Amino acid sequence: MSVTTSDEALSDSYALETHGLIKRFGASTAVDGVDLRVPRGSAFGYLGPNGAGKTTLIRVLLGLTRADGGSMSLLGYSVPRHRDQALVRVGAIVDEPRFSGHLTGRQNLQILAAAREPEAPGRIDASLERVGLSHRANDRVSKYSMGMRQRLGVASCLLGDPQLLILDEPMNGLDPAGMQDMRAMIRSFVAEGRTVVLSSHLLDEIERTCDAVAIVDHGKVIRQGPIAELLAGTPLELQVECSTPPHALALLKETNLDAAISVNDGGLTLVFAANTNREVIAEVNRVLVEGGVSVYRLQADQASLESWFLEVTSRLGGPE
Amino acid sequence: MTTTAEVAIAPAARDRRGSPLPTGAMIMTRFMDLRKRRGLMIALIVVNIGLPSVFLAVRLIAHAVAPHSYGPAGGYSIFEDLIAGLMYVFGFIVAATLGCTAGSVDLSEGMFRHLVVTGRSRLALYFARVPAGLMIIVPMIAIGVIVVCSVCVAAAPTKLSFDGIKNVPVGLSRQGFVSWAEEHPRTTICQMGYFYRKQPSSTPQVTCGRDNQVVAVTTTSGVPTATPATTSEMRAQAVKSANQNYASYATTFLSPPLKLMIETGLWVELWAIVGFLVGLGLSSLMGQRTVPVVLLIVYEVIITPLFARSPIPHLINAQRALVGLAVAHIEPSGLPAVFGGGAARGGGGGALISESTTVAVVVIVAWIVVWTALGAWRMATRDA
Repeated sequence: MSVTTSDEALSDSYALETHGLIKRFGASTAVDGVDLRVPRGSAFGYLGPNGAGKTTLIRVLLGLTRADGGSMSLLGYSVPRHRDQALVRVGAIVDEPRFSGHLTGRQNLQILAAAREPEAPGRIDASLERVGLSHRANDRVSKYSMGMRQRLGVASCLLGDPQLLILDEPMNGLDPAGMQDMRAMIRSFVAEGRTVVLSSHLLDEIERTCDAVAIVDHGKVIRQGPIAELLAGTPLELQVECSTPPHALALLKETNLDAAISVNDGGLTLVFAANTNREVIAEVNRVLVEGGVSVYRLQADQASLESWFLEVTSRLGGPE
Repeated sequence: MTTTAEVAIAPAARDRRGSPLPTGAMIMTRFMDLRKRRGLMIALIVVNIGLPSVFLAVRLIAHAVAPHSYGPAGGYSIFEDLIAGLMYVFGFIVAATLGCTAGSVDLSEGMFRHLVVTGRSRLALYFARVPAGLMIIVPMIAIGVIVVCSVCVAAAPTKLSFDGIKNVPVGLSRQGFVSWAEEHPRTTICQMGYFYRKQPSSTPQVTCGRDNQVVAVTTTSGVPTATPATTSEMRAQAVKSANQNYASYATTFLSPPLKLMIETGLWVELWAIVGFLVGLGLSSLMGQRTVPVVLLIVYEVIITPLFARSPIPHLINAQRALVGLAVAHIEPSGLPAVFGGGAARGGGGGALISESTTVAVVVIVAWIVVWTALGAWRMATRDA
């Protein structure tokens, strides 16, 4: 079957690509003109608060519901036109992973493998082994914990030997050890050359696991790109502990630093604009020392993904 | 497990992923899914096999303990009662329940979404359920019918009882039956049913009077007068009764004939298959199990019996579109009419609304095709 016409292969460099994707439910727009580009072989975070439209976007991508506008491709195949070909090497958990409780984990995978290519049933044991469920594979799923169902969900993704894994909130229900295992598993997928799209509202998990991120709110992608680059665009905050904060403030004001300076207990807080050269930290130290101020500590903080996310989604201090 | 670096995208054509036809593996795993539903399977077996088995077992024991008080466990009449009265109705309900389960549990249990994500044609996912369900329901119905047939043949009475007349010879020709009636006029007149047609009042009407005395009733000026019937009058009436009842007698046996058992088994299977496919389509359309099961039970035990026998002038063609009526019209001869008992065998119901065999077949095929199409369409268009 020909799969390389220009129509089908939109881009080889992206595992997932959307242009102006729209999904409406009545008057509400759950996915609002989303442009997304997920590089191959990366862990990509799709980050947004509850109700931001993350799961809806995944459902549209996988053909679980129809888009109302825009175009999209998975692994270079235009979807939904070539959906069956695109999904050959895609594994996905959408929302909470639910299975037939009266069947064992292995039997559930047998049902799913039967719907895939002939080699898929041969991957069941390896998939169970990889997610650490081999010892419970013959137990009924009704006896599984939430975390075990998450693992079974990941095992079901592996049946197709996927190039692209789309995991929707995979950390839900996992204990700390389970979350650590899941992080390691996701990184190992990426190390094997697979692409992982991780949808989550857990900022810390995205920051720890992913290379790039898209921030979504109210159905729109607000920012996207490598995490390091995005955070480089955030303000630099410098905490200074010193002997005479008012004197230090006067000295720094005389130097015409491009920073907002405030006095606090035992020191100063300086906030520099984004992309400020870190040499400015050494300059602050030099000015204070030469002015006779004893400097006990200098600490520069780049904004975390969490504070940045809260800022860009305008939810700082508000309920989620 | 191989990595993506080693494996190119497998062409979807290799596993016929876009084809609406399911693979053997898909069918077998769906079969496993249904078969492993223990509660459902137990309920279906109890209803379809357990109830007739218990009924027959009780009769076998009762007859063994007190043969003079309790008749044989098997025989033709028991076969008729169990098949037309029990297995026909319960077979449909059992099959419809299984169909409704097969058509809805993927949605309710969340497996539908996993299956759609595989990229497999949704039509193939739907059609995999058809053979999987039939692999359960067809043998289950067959076992129930075989149990009934086996007991009815093995424990059949040794002497025929027809219309309550014991020791009627089996397998007589019309002439033989008439001759037997002539030899037993009193028994024939008093126990064999007879439909009296209007006749001139001067002609005596020979009938059964008090204490099984046969009388000839003549009506003069509107006043009936009964006198003991003569031997020739009794014989003449016995011949009339025998002729009128011969069709019914000819289909009365000590035990059900093999041909009838096979035809009956296939007929009950057909009804069960219709029930399964309608249940599958309806539940897929509605996206749930309970309501479709209730609707189909109501359809089977209330709507069909009600509308199959009471013609409504302006709706008679709509009544003819009832699949229950259509299947009843292709019932094997030799069984009592379903849905309330046939008038021919003394049941309380009237005759079924008339319908040609061709129309009946068209109605059955239409029901199967339409419900399957609706279920498949909903499966293909539903949000997962």
